Formats: sequence, structure tokens, C-alpha cells
Amino acid sequence: MRVIWSIAATTVGEAVRRRVLLIILLVGLLLLTIAPALGQLSARQETTVLKGFMLGMIQLTSAVIALVLTVYMIPNEIERRTIYTILSKPVQRWQFLLGKYFGAVLALALMMSLMTAVQLLIFFIQQGEIAMELARAPALFFVQMSLLAAVAIFFSTFVSPLVNFFLSGGIYLVGSVLSPLVDTLAQSRGTTPAAKIGVQVLSTVVPNFSSYNVQNPIINPGQQIQNESWYYTMVTVYGLFYVGILLVAGILIFDRREV
Amino acid sequence: MRTKRTLLLVLMAAFFVGQGFLHHSAIFPRWRKDYSANQGSLGTAGLNPDQLLFALIGLREFVAGILWVRADSFFDTGNYDAILPIIRLVTWLDPKQIDVYATGMWHIGYNFTDEDQRSDRRYIPSALALGKEGARQNPHTYEMFFETGWMWYHKIDDDYDRAVEWFLKAHERPDMLPARKNLLSNAYQRAGEVDKAAELYFDLHKAAVKRVQNEPEVFGHLQNLETLENNLDTMLVRMVQRGYVAKNRNDGSFETGAYDVNPPFDVGFSAKVTVVEPRVIQIEGTWNVLPVGTRVRAVLRDADYETDKAAALHWDKTSSVNLDPPRDKTFMQEQLFVKNRRFNRTIDMSKDPTMYPFTSKDYVLEFYYNPRSAPPHIQDKFGWSGEGMTDKNFLNTEVRPGQRVVYTKMSLTREQLLRQGEWNPIDGKVPILRTKNYVEAGQSAQDDLIIVPQLRGAGQ
Amino acid sequence: MAAAIETRKLTKTYKSRLAGNVNVVDNLDLVVEEGEIFGFLGPNGAGKTTTIKMLLGIIYPTSGEATVLGREIGDMEVHKVISYLPERPYYYEHMTGMELLKFYASLFGIYDTEKCQRLLEKVNLAGDASKTISQYSKGMQQRVGLAQSLLNDPKLLFLDEPTGGLDPIAHTEIRDLILQFRDEGRTVFISSHELSEVERICDRVAIIHRGKIEAQGRLEELLKGGRIEIIADGVSSDLANSIKSADTTVSFKGGRLVVDMPDSNDPNALLDAIRSGKGNVVSVIPRRKRLEDLFVETVRSGATDGGNL
Repeated sequence: MRVIWSIAATTVGEAVRRRVLLIILLVGLLLLTIAPALGQLSARQETTVLKGFMLGMIQLTSAVIALVLTVYMIPNEIERRTIYTILSKPVQRWQFLLGKYFGAVLALALMMSLMTAVQLLIFFIQQGEIAMELARAPALFFVQMSLLAAVAIFFSTFVSPLVNFFLSGGIYLVGSVLSPLVDTLAQSRGTTPAAKIGVQVLSTVVPNFSSYNVQNPIINPGQQIQNESWYYTMVTVYGLFYVGILLVAGILIFDRREV
Repeated sequence: MRTKRTLLLVLMAAFFVGQGFLHHSAIFPRWRKDYSANQGSLGTAGLNPDQLLFALIGLREFVAGILWVRADSFFDTGNYDAILPIIRLVTWLDPKQIDVYATGMWHIGYNFTDEDQRSDRRYIPSALALGKEGARQNPHTYEMFFETGWMWYHKIDDDYDRAVEWFLKAHERPDMLPARKNLLSNAYQRAGEVDKAAELYFDLHKAAVKRVQNEPEVFGHLQNLETLENNLDTMLVRMVQRGYVAKNRNDGSFETGAYDVNPPFDVGFSAKVTVVEPRVIQIEGTWNVLPVGTRVRAVLRDADYETDKAAALHWDKTSSVNLDPPRDKTFMQEQLFVKNRRFNRTIDMSKDPTMYPFTSKDYVLEFYYNPRSAPPHIQDKFGWSGEGMTDKNFLNTEVRPGQRVVYTKMSLTREQLLRQGEWNPIDGKVPILRTKNYVEAGQSAQDDLIIVPQLRGAGQ
Repeated sequence: MAAAIETRKLTKTYKSRLAGNVNVVDNLDLVVEEGEIFGFLGPNGAGKTTTIKMLLGIIYPTSGEATVLGREIGDMEVHKVISYLPERPYYYEHMTGMELLKFYASLFGIYDTEKCQRLLEKVNLAGDASKTISQYSKGMQQRVGLAQSLLNDPKLLFLDEPTGGLDPIAHTEIRDLILQFRDEGRTVFISSHELSEVERICDRVAIIHRGKIEAQGRLEELLKGGRIEIIADGVSSDLANSIKSADTTVSFKGGRLVVDMPDSNDPNALLDAIRSGKGNVVSVIPRRKRLEDLFVETVRSGATDGGNL
């Protein structure tokens, strides 16, 4: 564990110094600060538009950060050969992979926490209240992005960064539309049973990112949702299962990979 | 290493089964119920690919917000047509945005008018459908039920039983505002359910008294209580004066008593319609009621325009929101304002060809008066359901079951309305239609008696 | 004496689209004794780095076996007592010198800041400990690399071009350090192009070429057989051509004949031939065989008797 933690800590240090990531984060924060202007332009929907925009921005920025953070992680280590000095030490490959992943997740947590804090501050300045419920959605977004990071880390063990970016991004998009697609097909009379089954199978295999989109009741309060914390727990456990699958698969591949 | 690999593969398999089970048994059903847009069809969204992508990857509220900001600019510039697709898109993307539904209903129902501010009522079925969808998507709050009820009550101004139905649903919701509960009682009255109206006023009054007792410092509670007392008072007086109480006693006191509604008053409706110019009609006629406050409804429509009752459209035809009205159909509704027992109105439909396309061959011009829509001082004479009103030529108890209304209709052709062919304005005939009892001004009819209806003393 | 490193038919094959299967390391039989300084030499692309990577467990052999300190390659227990100084600085550039040492130390479970400080002093980087690696010169990066290779007091050190990019004084310091390691009983495996340095400090060497060991053994054994250089003027080109042979090089420099021949050949016959040809012998200089000679000879001529001596 200490080896994993050491590598993770180093990864965080590296990540927070990467200019590309800092620029993306800055852009996300800037967009958060202009959100109130957008809210004011809407007809009678100021708070709704403000919340929707800010949460949407956090989610989008976090997804880009998660991808950019992780697609280059392992390939960079191999290309710059920093991995040689580490693997010559008593460090197993799986420890290295896990350390990099947890480091990425920690860095992601830092950046997302910053965006969430700025969001809360802006909302407080704009509306005069501390809306802690605005932090609930980003908490689940964090689990979602950790899952996305695991997808990218898995692919980074055997594909190039550019291919990985589009592959992982594609998985994210597909995983985000799966639940709405399954829902639509289930309700549509014209869909063949084969198509319905096919989509069901796909939604079992591909990680379901749409399950983490819980922002609607926060944006439109007043809806009665029972036992929300149970749902949050379930999707977190789901995320942990899937991260486990991806990391184990990544370990199995990385263990045999030529560096 | 082989053992390790096997163990890892087994672990992967276990995780896979775990996530699959969790997703299908626990997560997806809850997501569908609580967090999805729940709108069914993806394909008819009308979003461009970028917007659809953003919407589907979980940023639908974000896209909805952007679109609604755009709509605001269209409100400012008066580009009302451009707002319609945005309303549809925003409510599809985020059906929990109640305000958008409510604003959309108002916009569709009230903002599309001709040059003389007559509403384009072809849109009203869409407004109602939007309200129904909003209520279906937001069953936890009273708002959309109330808005839909209001559309029936205020805009359609007929079929008050439908308003009652929707206001009742709003009443069932725990967040219904006390001040708005009065409206159900008003709707009951308009629907002729006088007992229920009174009963509700008593219930509301009781609740209001309790609220004042519990929170005497809240001024709004006191205001509400006073309003209710006033309404209740007025209602009880009317129930007596209109003979309602006596009638229900069934002891002959209604027949012998001096009640305003007894005997029924003959309103003496007559009308003459002249197509003075292409697409311009003049309607003049008589209505033998001196006090101001009568508005006789005139409806000009395609003869084959689908309708479920006279002088109306099939308002509640559909539950799916289609913001494109039947543009090849004509439906004009105007109120003929009676003054000094006559009405005379020129209706110019020539400036709004999109609203009045006149593509069909045949048209129906309907005249309709329902005392249920009348102001209180007129209802004092005519009663809630027209029991104090009659017309020897045009009284009708069929077009609105259980109600006494004045109704008649005339037929016109396209050629007449557009003054084409033998009706051309240069050397052709002038299309003039009259009810059988119409007497030209200056002449007099045999039974042209003037009786000024007034409130008599309170009955027994 | 036990072998610190032993390989038996160690092979690494890469698949190439153009060339098919290429044996980058081909049936390597290598022995490095404990407590010695071993030089691993070869031209670029010979397979040196690949061999080191296999021994360090960074990559996996295609076939063959290897042990390091008596254990199979890749054994984590071995990694606790070996270290590696890479040829180029493969370090995290955002870290300072001190942070880098502390990070690598943590991988061994060492959390001793003072030790890191001492090591930095040992490599003359104490004053630059707070600068980032990106701010270090090549020589400074090499020195911090040396410092990280000493963190775990290793029994076996793999040094890949340890003096690369260093000034002559630093060269001397590194050399002294390496000799000190041997005195302490450590084994040092050096891969280097600095043949003069290798010749000065190594006990045994191996020369690898195209993946195969071409020569391996103690230096004094391998460098048996010197050369003699004879310079003469006034020698005809006919005579010069007749002197040329496989082990004798003949050239003209500034009008003078220069002959380079093994010292096992009798020079007298040649001297007589020059004098008979009315030539004038300017100088006769015996020269000990250098490692460079062996290297060039081995690489040019290919396999000798298979290598081991």
C-alpha cells in the first residue's frame, strides 16, 4: 500500500502542474463565473438556468479533465522512460498501475472540489443562500469521472493516447445514452425484440454513465424522491464494481506489456 | 502467476456479475422513475445533433437552460412563432421545469391573435395538451393542474365541468395555495354545481378561521378569511334571490315566490349578417336585455372543422403536444357586445390571411349564448343554468345538456365570404343572411315589448 | 565465488514487419561474479540495454533463464537490494532533487530525510536540492541519478553510462566511488562506451555484438597480445604492399610508412626488409593491447572462439 500511495502522491503532484489540465480547469471556472449572467437572461427561470448551467459545466469540464489526465498517464511514463527507474525498484507493475490510477482520482477530486466550491460561492453571491444540495450532484459526478478515468487507464495499457482519447470519450458518450435509449426502446412499439435485447446486453457490458446524472431534482426542487441516499450508495457501489473490473483487466494486460 | 491470473479473472467475473445485477435490479428502475426525462421518443425532439448529444450525455438541463435564454430574446422582439419549438424542446429536455410549461401554455393560449386582438383558438388544444403533459410529469405539485383548469375556466370560458375536474386535482396536492382554492368554488358555480360551491366555501371558511387562530399575526390569513366571508355571503344571498333555495325545498314556494328567475325572460335574439367586403362581415341584431354585460358568442368556422360540440372546437382532442395548428382551417370567435338592446359589430378578417385562410368550400356561422358565462348581475336574472332565460325562437337545451342556452347557426359559402363569382363586390349580389325573426331597424315587430329586467325584492 | 548475475541462453526476440523475428539478445550466456566490477560493452544496438532491462525485470525474456543474486529475475526481494542508474535521466522533472530522492526512498520503505541529504552531499548536490530536475544540467541529473541508486545500500548496482555528461573531475569522483563499492563488497555492472574508464576499473568484461557475446573474461586475459608500431621512410609502395596482411596494417602518413602488427610477429624480418629496400627505420614502438583494440577487433571480425576465458 505504501508503494501505491507514494506513486499516487507523485502522480497528483505531476497532474496539478500540467498546463493543459490547469487551462481546462481555468476555463471551467471562468464559465462558472459567467453563469449568473446567463441566468439573468432567462424568462422567470433564473435560478433553474443558473443551477443547470453550473452543474452542466462542472460535469463537462470534469469529463475533459478526467480524459486528458489519464489517456497520457501510462504512455508518458513509458515514453519518457520514468517507468524504468520505478520498476527497477521493488514495485510490482500492478502497484504502479494502481498508484497512477489513485493519483489521477485524487487529482480529479481536488479539481472537482475546487469547481464545486466556486459554484457554491457564486450561488451564494447571486442568491444569498448556501445551497449545499448543489454539492450532491458533483459528489456523484466524481464517482462517474473516476469510472471514466478507469476506462481510460484500462485502454492506456494497450492503445496510443490519441486512440484512447476517442475510445474512452466514445465509451462515455455511449454509456451516457444507454439508459435513455433502453428507456425509449422499451416504450416504443415499433422496436423489435432483438433490438431491445441487444441494447439491454450493451447496457450490461458498457458502463452506464447516465445513472450518475442526478441533477434534475436539484435543479427543479420540489420533486419527491424517496430514499435518495440509497440510490447514491447503489450507484457508487456499481462504480466501484466497474472500476474493479477495469483495473483488474488493466493489470492483466499491463503485466505482460513490453515497456 | 497462473494461479494469480486465474484469481484475478474470477474476481473480474464476480465484479461483472455484481454490476450487472445492481444495474438491472436496483439502479435502472430507480433512474427511470426519478431522474430520467421520461419523455419516450428520442427521435422527435427536433434538436440539432450537437444539442441532442449534449442532452443525451446528461446535460439536458444545461441545454434546456440555454434554449430558454434564447426564448427570452424572442419574447422581447415579439417573434412569437420562434418560441413555440423552444417551448417544446425545453419541456422535452427537462419536463420538471414547471414554469416553462406554464409560460408555454399562456403563450400559446393568449399571444397568438389577429390585428383586432382576437385569439387564434386553433392553438388552444395544443395549450391544453401541454398543460396535461406538464401535470403528468409533475404530479407532486398543484401548479400544472391549476394552470390547465384555468385554461378551461378563463380562456375556453365554457365546459366548466372540465375546469372543476382540474381544479379538484390541484386541490388534492398538498402545496395548493389557500388563496387559489376559492377558484374551485367559482368553477363549481359556473358548472351549475351550486351546492358543492357553497359546501366548499364553508370548508374553506372553516380552514381559514383555524389559520387565523393559529397565526393571528399573518395578515394574509385575515385577508383570505375576509374574502371567503364575502364570497360566502354573496353566494348565500344569490342562492336565495335566484330561488335556488326555494326550488330545492320543493314546497311550492319557488313557483309562488317573487324570484328574479321566475318566469324566464325572453331575450328576443335576432341577427343579420352581411358580408360587406371580402373577408369582412357585419353582424347586427337584437338582444332584449338592457343592462350592460351581455356578450353573445359568434363563431365562424369551416363546416367540416372537427368539433365535439356547437360553437366550439374539440378542445381536449389530443394529449400529444403538437404546436402546429391546422393552418388550412378557419376558426373565428368573437364576442358581440350588447348595448341598448342591440349589437352591431364588423369583423374584419382580411388582414390576417394566415389565421383565416378560407380554404374550404362551406362555412358555419354560429351564435351562442350561455348564462353560465354571464356576469353575476345578469345571472341574477337568468340563473346559474339559464332557468330564468328563454328565447321563443332560439332556446336550445341540447347543445349543452342540462343547460338552457341560446343557439342558432347559418351557412355561408367560400364564394360569399370572399365575394367571388355572383357575389363579387363590383356588380354582384351582397351576401346577407338573417334569422327568421330579424326586423330591420325602423320597422317594428308585433310582439316587440320592452321589459326591463331588474332585481326584485329577496324571495322567501 | 557465487555468481551475482548468471544467464543461460537468454534470448529476446522482437517481431518486425520488415525483418520478421529479430533476436535482439541471442542466447546470451553471461556470468558476473559477486564483488567484481563487470564491464558490459558493445556498439549501439548490440543489445546492452535490452539485456539490462531483462535483468531488472522491466521486460520479459523470450526464452532462456537468468538469475540475479541467486534469484529469478523479477523477484521483488532482489529489487530491494539492487539499483539502477539509467543512461539518460528518466526522472520526474517537476520534482526537486530532494523530493525525487524521498520519492524513490519511499518505494523502498525508507523515510529518512537525513539519508537523502547525505546522499545529495555525497554527489555535490546539497546546494541544489531545492531546484527542480528540469533546472538541473545533464551532469547534475546524472549525479542525482547516482544518489538515487545508492538509497537502498544496494548489493548490486547496474550503471548504464555512469560518467556520461560529466566533466573530468566528476569522472574521477565517479570512478573512485565505483572502486569504493567494490571494496565494500558490492557488485557493479557497468555498461559503457568509455573504454578507457572500463579498462581502468573493470575486473571482467563482456563484449556483445548483434545480441551475442563475442568475448567475455578477465581483462588481463583478453588483452593479451600487444602491437608493435614501426615507422620508416624511403620505402617503396611495392615493399609496403608485400608487408600487408590480415593482422598487419600498413599506411603512409606524411610520406612515411607506418606499420602496425601484433607483437607475436617477429619484427626483425620486417626491419631487414625495409633496410634492404633502402628504407630508413625511424622508430619501433611496442604497444600493449588496449580494450579499444579488442573491441574494434571483436566487432569487426565477428566471433572468436565463442568468448569465455
